[in-house]
Amino acid sequence: MPGQIMADERKLQRDREFHAEALRWLPEVTRFALSLTRDESDADDLVQETYLKAYEAWDTYTPGTECRGWLFTICRHSFYRRRLREERQVTCDDPELEALAAVAVHASARQGGYADLFARFDLSEAIDRAIAALPEAFRDVVLLVDVNDQSYEAAADTLDVPVGTVRSRLFRARRLLQEALIDHARDAGLVRAQTDAGANRHES
Amino acid sequence: MPGGMPMLDCESVMRQLWDFLDGELTPERMAAVRAHIEMCKRCYPQHEFEQSFLDAVAARRRQHSDPQRLRRRVADALRAKGLSDA
Repeated sequence: MPGQIMADERKLQRDREFHAEALRWLPEVTRFALSLTRDESDADDLVQETYLKAYEAWDTYTPGTECRGWLFTICRHSFYRRRLREERQVTCDDPELEALAAVAVHASARQGGYADLFARFDLSEAIDRAIAALPEAFRDVVLLVDVNDQSYEAAADTLDVPVGTVRSRLFRARRLLQEALIDHARDAGLVRAQTDAGANRHES
Repeated sequence: MPGGMPMLDCESVMRQLWDFLDGELTPERMAAVRAHIEMCKRCYPQHEFEQSFLDAVAARRRQHSDPQRLRRRVADALRAKGLSDA
């Protein structure tokens, strides 16, 4: 039947597009899922769920647009739905003030004699813990931009927020991470605590 | 400044340092910030500190231990949903 043949051909074409555009991003989606779940078994479930949803929703994808970002969005939504968490609202600060606050973190590190902290010590596990401890909105931008190498614009698309919000959240998140890592280094005895404990905090 | 590059002071560079490290500035602005950092005793150490921090965080990019197994698993699940081997 001609109608049936046309339907079959349409499906074949759709499947070809899915192979070419969606499945090619499997390694990137896997890395993103791993950075969200921090557990390979959970990441496997999340990747499978992401691709099944993507296949079901393939007709809503516009061919030739940013498929990786589209898959990241599905992956992220699936992850948070799994955790049954509500998105927290985070106030948007001035990103340039956050950038200047980073200067104070460095000044403190220099005074304490550990300006080379991040280059000198293996802080891998502390970094994982510090990222996991970030509020959700801050963690999302760090995972997208710093861990998964997304541009500000791509991260903004994935999170459905303005680019300015990505910047301010990212810069704040970096400062929070740096402070957490410096605290960890002090607690672990990697660096000496400063005698003036009040100099250890940098509020913007 | 050579090539008509805008002159930047330290505060201006510090305000743009994250954008610079993320490669998010215009090419002209990237060049101006880079030129300042290379010559500035105050900004260069700040740049090194932030770059080493970003390198340490980026190193947390994880690799799957068995990507082929996961690929097969996803392909099987999609096939069960009707995806052909096109």
